[in-house]
Amino acid sequence: MMFKRGIIQMKLRTIKYMVREGFSNTYKNLLMTLASLTMVISSLLIFGVFLMVTVILSFNLRQMEKQIAEIVIWLEKDIAPLEADDIELRLKNDVRVLECNRITKEQAFAELNEALEDPSLLEGYTPEFLSESFRLRLKDVNQIAEFADEAADITGVEDIDFPKDFLERLALILKWINAGSMFILALLLIISVSIISNTIKLTVYARRKEIGIMKYIGANDWFIRWPFIIEGIIIGLVGSVISFVITSYLYNALESYVSSEAVVSGMSLIRMVPLKDIGGQILFVYIIIGVVMGVVGSIISVRKHLNV
Amino acid sequence: MIEFKAVTKRYSNGAIGLQDASFTIQKGEFVFVVGPSGSGKSTLLKLILHEEVPTEGEVYVNGFSIHNMRRSEIPYLRRGLGVVFQDFRLLPNKTVYDNVAFAMQIVEAQPKEIRRQVPVALALVGLSKKAKVYPDQLSGGEQQRVSLARALVNNPSILLADEPTGNLDPAISREIMYLLDEINQRGTTVIVATHEKSIVDDMEKRVISLDYGRIVHDVQKGNYTNEA
Repeated sequence: MMFKRGIIQMKLRTIKYMVREGFSNTYKNLLMTLASLTMVISSLLIFGVFLMVTVILSFNLRQMEKQIAEIVIWLEKDIAPLEADDIELRLKNDVRVLECNRITKEQAFAELNEALEDPSLLEGYTPEFLSESFRLRLKDVNQIAEFADEAADITGVEDIDFPKDFLERLALILKWINAGSMFILALLLIISVSIISNTIKLTVYARRKEIGIMKYIGANDWFIRWPFIIEGIIIGLVGSVISFVITSYLYNALESYVSSEAVVSGMSLIRMVPLKDIGGQILFVYIIIGVVMGVVGSIISVRKHLNV
Repeated sequence: MIEFKAVTKRYSNGAIGLQDASFTIQKGEFVFVVGPSGSGKSTLLKLILHEEVPTEGEVYVNGFSIHNMRRSEIPYLRRGLGVVFQDFRLLPNKTVYDNVAFAMQIVEAQPKEIRRQVPVALALVGLSKKAKVYPDQLSGGEQQRVSLARALVNNPSILLADEPTGNLDPAISREIMYLLDEINQRGTTVIVATHEKSIVDDMEKRVISLDYGRIVHDVQKGNYTNEA
């Protein structure tokens, strides 16, 4: 006997019926819909603000990391010019390298001259006492330690210099920010689902008689569940779109405030990620979370009433 | 068709619903289940519906073993049963027609089939003209007839009625009972739980009498008191 009729094996007209029920229930229970909607929106906004803070914070730290992450490769002082050219070629052809500048002895001397307050200190010296060097940036900052180790083994390289401690500390901070924000976001999500399922519980409670009747007539659990799930999806979708509109409005306001501050003070401590770069992702995340909240909330709320 | 074998139902609060009850109901029978409130009438019907499961003993309904059944089978058991309640249990936001059609939508019947069967069921209970009306615009007797139409529209082999006339006045009650009798004549097994003496005595059907969860009488062509 075929008793297990799953979710997939529903007939098309049943699906139509459920979608219609879902929509009409959403509309008929307008007050409850608005209550759930408010819950979805406020949860998403709290979630969103936190997400933004995290995104901006790590974006800024990464910018900082990029600025600082410069490797300086010092060559041996008496290296043959051809050998130095070889090393330059090798560095420039490495796929990991973003940019590579060769600092000749003359350039280094000129820089030193500029850096010193009293040029007379260099009197009697020629650029020959300095070493030639390369200044590099990598595409991926995380490869810096590995790259430096490799470069140190190249014959003709005297020494490697990069802000090792600082980068390590920054990486650690970023790791903690990521882990912490994941934890807090998950917590917020759980809280939101429980609040929303409580709100939906009220709508389910109002319709428990209907559910009871359906059970007596012989409706299976999925037949009863689906209209509520569809209701949850509708609320989740509408809620996430509204939240996104509010979020982007707030974000734009903050962005223009930050840039006007930057104009006044001549510099800005915070750099904002342009909304167009992250807007799509935020909308996507909102929709996923909104729909998950609606669906999980519905399933939790209906569960109790199905045991008749 | 329905068989109870030494069935005892104890509720978790210690109350006895049914005690050592054994009986068989054949296809096409009309059976009254009578007794004072709390005697176990509702428990008996709930066991047939798998709303409750027996604490001891075995219950068989239409080939389903109620005492040993998977949850996913319950809807299929119930699709063979029509149920009528004292409080009608109609959906107030659906018309008479939609209330009846609803029972067919749930079992995923063809729309064509629904359009054909719903008017037949409404005609059977004499409500063809009220198809577009909402339940709260109907009298109690009419509402009960709608719930009868809903119970019958899927052609169940067994019709269960739990105090179907409990909320109706005597004349209307009699009408409903005649309707149940008519349905029975068409071949449906009908089981009615009631405590309305006059009706039971009138109809001269099989009567199962319960008291404190025990079957005290089970008589063909009996009456309510059964001094027979």
